[in-house]
Amino acid sequence: MWTGDTMTNAYELIVNILTAIGVYDQIYNLFEIFGMAYVLKILIVSVLIAVLFAFVLVTVMFLTWMERKVVALVQVRYGPMVTGPRGLLQPVMDGIKLIGKEDIIPAKADRWIFTLAPFIVFVPALLIFIPIPFGNSLIISDLRVGLLYIIAISAVSPIAVLLAGWASNNKYSLLGAMRAVAQDISYTIPLALAAIAVVIFTGSLSTVDIVNAQGDYWFGIIPKWFIFLQPIGFVLFLIASIAELGRIPFDFQESESELVAGFFTEYSGMKFAMFFLAEYAHLFAVSGIVVTLFLGGWNGPVIPFIPVQITSLVYFLIKTYAVIFFTMWLRDTVPRMRIDQLLNIGWKIMVPLALLNLLVAGFLVTAGVI
Amino acid sequence: MVDTVFLIISIFTIFSSIMVILSKKIVHSAVYLAGSLIGTAGLFILLKAEFVAWVQVLVYVGAVVTLILFTIMLTGKGEDEHAN
Repeated sequence: MWTGDTMTNAYELIVNILTAIGVYDQIYNLFEIFGMAYVLKILIVSVLIAVLFAFVLVTVMFLTWMERKVVALVQVRYGPMVTGPRGLLQPVMDGIKLIGKEDIIPAKADRWIFTLAPFIVFVPALLIFIPIPFGNSLIISDLRVGLLYIIAISAVSPIAVLLAGWASNNKYSLLGAMRAVAQDISYTIPLALAAIAVVIFTGSLSTVDIVNAQGDYWFGIIPKWFIFLQPIGFVLFLIASIAELGRIPFDFQESESELVAGFFTEYSGMKFAMFFLAEYAHLFAVSGIVVTLFLGGWNGPVIPFIPVQITSLVYFLIKTYAVIFFTMWLRDTVPRMRIDQLLNIGWKIMVPLALLNLLVAGFLVTAGVI
Repeated sequence: MVDTVFLIISIFTIFSSIMVILSKKIVHSAVYLAGSLIGTAGLFILLKAEFVAWVQVLVYVGAVVTLILFTIMLTGKGEDEHAN
């Protein structure tokens, strides 16, 4: 058995497991003979990243199924039922169908940028997962500026949306892209300000430090999650991240009744699938970030005889799916807003409220109340 | 190994920077500008300056390039066939 507290990331976890089995030294010596010990580290980290991305993609496929099932639940229908048990293999069939479709590029489109845009959307959506702690020591890299990294990487996707809308050479695409970027830019500010209020309490941008700061209990029973210290920050962060995702009630970039499908109107086949996958990967990532910042991350009651890595992963996934279910529920319940209402709420209510929240947080920490 | 990575990132950054001024379409220039700024962020990471690197991505790629693209799309009417 290994002790769970000494490891900081998944690479060290793998090394410890291999050492416990007793094969690590042999593998290490094998690489040492050729003087390439660092190749082994690169190899292990690459495999870990591949496992993470595979996990994210499988989750994304599951989420498309879950979304349909939740809509069906709200509307008192069955949803997909035919392929697999309770329609669980529906995403696989959708994938096969999309791969088989013809890849159409409009005649007047800018071919290079039209092809490049789905990739610029898709790659950051996967890269966000690098500093998200899925469990105790289940993290690819505990960056010292993890939160800044997450905000910076998600700031890249508006460019791709703008490029996709422009390259399609279609007025609906361009309008959708313009709306998407206006929305993204105005809601990044309350999002970042709400996250900074949490950073004031922890004094660190590292996601692992933020999770560890929420491990204690008040009076031995109430968990010290930041949702109790930062209720306004939590609500602001959740609303801003749903707006960043572009989901109902904030889905102006693809509002079907006005803009056909927004910036990906002209896309078909695998490129369309990439936009779709990126959207759900973003949903998963954002829910994970909400859990990490406000809902205690992977913290939960310790269960004896089970390694803390497994229990913490289960706690993290339960919390994340609760947040995902909430966004899906919201999507099925609330009608779409208007674009002017959205921008008014963003700039006139959410930004001042986030600044006030930041001020109160700073005052509480400086005065030593918490 | 750091030297090799430095070489790759430098070539990428210089190539992007040159293509910014050689591109015929102004939107392509903006895309190459984003590439060259991301390359610069990579150089900062090689110097172990993570904070500066991600602020570079956030401010320059996330805000400045988006602003440039916005401006091009809102004002570029009639300059080339793709401008809307």
